[in-house]
This record gives sequence, structure tokens and C-alpha cells, in this order.
Amino acid sequence: MGFLSTAVGWFLGLGSSLIVMIVLILLGLVFRVGWQKAVRGGITTGVGLAGLFLVVNVIIGALQPAVAEMATRFGLAKTIVDVNWADAGIAWGWPGVAGLIVSILVVNILMLVLRLTKTLWTDVWSYWHGSALAGFVWALTGGNVFLGILAGVLYLVAGSLMSDMTAKKYQEFNDMPGIGVPCGTTVQASLFAMPVVWLLDRIPGLKDWDASPEGIKNRFGLVGEPGVLGFILGVIIGVFAYGTGTGDLGITKILGLGMNVAVMMMILPRMVSIIAEGIVPITMSIVQYMRERFKGREIYVAVDCAVLLGHPAVMASSVILFPLLVLVAAILPGVQMLPIASLAVVPFWAGAVVPYTKGNVVKTVIVLLLYAIPFMYFSTLTVDAHTEAFKMMGQYSDQIGQGLKLGSWDMGGDILGFFIQKLFGLFS
Amino acid sequence: MGKLIVVACGAGINTSTMAEDSIKERVAQEGFSDVEVKRILMADIDGFLGRTDLIMVVSMMKIFRTFNVPVFQGMPFLIGSKQEKDELLDKIVEVIKKV
Repeated sequence: MGFLSTAVGWFLGLGSSLIVMIVLILLGLVFRVGWQKAVRGGITTGVGLAGLFLVVNVIIGALQPAVAEMATRFGLAKTIVDVNWADAGIAWGWPGVAGLIVSILVVNILMLVLRLTKTLWTDVWSYWHGSALAGFVWALTGGNVFLGILAGVLYLVAGSLMSDMTAKKYQEFNDMPGIGVPCGTTVQASLFAMPVVWLLDRIPGLKDWDASPEGIKNRFGLVGEPGVLGFILGVIIGVFAYGTGTGDLGITKILGLGMNVAVMMMILPRMVSIIAEGIVPITMSIVQYMRERFKGREIYVAVDCAVLLGHPAVMASSVILFPLLVLVAAILPGVQMLPIASLAVVPFWAGAVVPYTKGNVVKTVIVLLLYAIPFMYFSTLTVDAHTEAFKMMGQYSDQIGQGLKLGSWDMGGDILGFFIQKLFGLFS
Repeated sequence: MGKLIVVACGAGINTSTMAEDSIKERVAQEGFSDVEVKRILMADIDGFLGRTDLIMVVSMMKIFRTFNVPVFQGMPFLIGSKQEKDELLDKIVEVIKKV
């Protein structure tokens, strides 16, 4: 026993990049992808994870002083730093990730055999929504890996049931027979859209109001570019934080913040992409294996929510929503995080809503403005567990010790995830 | 001059990686040494359309516009059977050979 706990302690002390590397190489060998692919995948994902934490370090260094400055100047209590997809670091780096992957595979197969769901959850990458939540619960319960995995499985099971309810609509609208999209906050947006669109269609005047997606894209498309959007937001926050500084009136600091936020908006997704580059090839064999097992049955094969982004109304709605959402988050009392990195999730929500609004930009914008409000509050309410999860993984411990708080919409603000966190909070 | 294939998806993270992986593997098997397979965001595609070495677009989403090079829908890479995947790869190889 003594040896075992020493070994486990040593393993966990390696840090998330090395842990995920070892875990993925082992998974790759178990799923028989060949040792070359397994080693390459493991190291690539480890590198992506390390890179992700590096980028987040840069943005914490730039944003934390700025939001603190705003707080002292205007009494604006918007002090949580938005790191959004940095949660991929928790998702793929918390100690229970391998257990979660195996558990949801087993549970999904059981549910298919018992005909409780039609969704074949082959898209292992998309497990990360459940895995990040599992990491929060792990932190919330003082390091209970088992409860973390249980929470993650619960969330992913709910995801497959929601996918069953939305799959036909997605298939029809995007011309992709056989798919289902069980991704976290995306599929929840569809469920939210159903009653809201029904209501909007009964309001005279609003019913037929639309805007041309192409026109919006041509005029405001530039704002949809992550780097440009980040620079603008950074400069605006900079003006509030350093606007009347001495010397050059703070212009150096303002432009510097703009550049740093632009860096985050462009590089953060690239780092997530490197993580995926390692994981996806290793898990491809699971797709083949599971597909062949359920041949001849009507099933929805789970794919990533990115496939929903094709319609021109998606980007058009998003560029209108970006400034509106920042404004609403700034005004609403009690909301402590200004969305910056989290805006990246908005196009995915739009992709889930346009099948229900039939590509109507105005209705899509209204639906998502309402949908985002719980995310604004929940990301504030869950911030402690969220920050603790980073800390328990050994990331940003010094800054967190000095009061840094990290939040996100996609994971931290997740509506279903919030209630699961509350439920498991009872065990802490 | 090299031949460029872009694989475009919504986020450039997950689905395009699946397609890229399959295409790269086949390209290596066929022994093409001048073919580059690149993952991109659909939003960034305009920057690639002007390139003279671009020979093909593989899209992981429904496409609502036209291109001046052959376009393939990459969905079989995500959910297709082995046979459907191989058929699509055969078509891609055909285009590479023709250019």
C-alpha cells in the first residue's frame, strides 16, 4: 500500500502535461492504434496543454491588473478573468479523465443496447464538456475522483438524450443524415430555442422581421475575426482602466492590452486545436469499432458542434451579439465577469439555434440574448470551484493565492452543469 | 509547384482533424510527395482561394457558396463506414492525379 500511494503521488506530481501524455499513450495502446500513433498523439496533446497554460498566463498578466484598476476607479465589480476554453486544460488534465472516457463509453453502449438512446457517442473530443464539469466537481468535493467521474457521466448521458431530441432537425437543416450533436451548451441552446421561437412567431411584426446575413457579414464581418474582436475589446477595457493615466495618458498600456487580448483570442483556440490533434487520431479507432457494432440500427452518430456552423446566419448573428452581450454583462448587477474569451462560444450556440429560426438573424439574436443571461450569472456563481480546479492542478497557484478568479461561459456558466455542481456540492 | 488541399470546418479544432488525418494517411500511402493537407477555419477560406496551388476544398459543414476548385463534403470521415470513407478518398486521389 505504501509503495502504491507513493507511486500514485509521484504520478500526480508530474503535472497535467505529462499525465495526459502517459494516459493517452496507454489509451492508444489499449485501443490498438499502434505505438507510433499513440506516442505522437500523447506528446502532441501534452504540448498543446502546456501551450494552453502559457497563453492563459499571458492573458492573466495583462487582464488581471486592468480589471482590478477598473474596479478601484469605477467600483465596477467585474473582476473575474474570462479564460473560457482554457477549461480544456481541466478537461484533459484532471486526474480522472481516463476513467471518465472509459465510463461514458461503457454507459453509452449499455444505453444503446437497452434502447434508451439513439445517440452513439463516438466523438470522444466532445467528452470535454463533461470532463471539465467532472474536474469542477472533483475540486468542489475536495479531490473526490469518483464523484467527479459520476458527475461527468451524468452530464454526458443527459447530452445524449438531448441529442436524440434535436438530431432530426440538425440533419434536415444541415443536410447531414445520420448525425447527432450532443455537445454541452450547444444542444441546450436548441432546447431553449424551441419555446422561445414558438413565442416569437406569435408576435405580430416580429414574425417576419429579418436581416440579410450577407449584408451584415460584408459590413461587420471584420468584427467576427477573433483577433480584431479581441483587439477592440482589449482597447475598450484599457480605456476604462488606464484612460487618464499620466504621461501619454495611458495609451501605451491601452494598446498593449488590446494586443494581449487579441493574442488570447487567436492563440487560445490554436492551442485547443493542438490538444485535439493529439487526441483525435487515438480515438478514431473507437468510432470505427462502435459503428460496426451497431450496424443496421437507426442511430445518430455524435459529431462535433462545429458541423452546425455552415449557415451564413450563424456568423451574422454572432457579430451582432458580440457587442450586445458585453454590454448586457457590463450592466447587469451581480455579474462579475466581462465576456471576452467566452464570446468564442457564441457562434456554436447560433449554429444550434438557426435550424429552429430557419436562418432568421433577428430571431436568432433575440433567442441568444436571453439564453446568455443565465450563463452570465452561473459563471459568477461557480467561479470558486472553477478557480480551485486550476489550483489543484498546480496552475496559477501564486496568482490564485493573491485573489485571482477564473471563469468561463461554456463550462462555468453551463446551465445543466450548474445544477449538477449544486447537486454534488451537497457531498462536499 | 506543390498541391494544396484545405480541410475547412467551423472551429478548425476537431472535425477537420479527423478528415486531415484520413487524407494525410492516404496521401502518404499513394506516395504523393508534393501534396500539402491543411486544416483551416471556414471563415479564413477567402485567403486561400486566391492561391494558385490550391487544388481542392474539403468542407466539414454544409456549403452555401461556390468555389473555383473541386469541393468535397467530408462528412464520411466523421460518420461513414470504412467503405464510404475509401470511396471518398478514391475521388480525392483522382483529383490529385488529374491536376
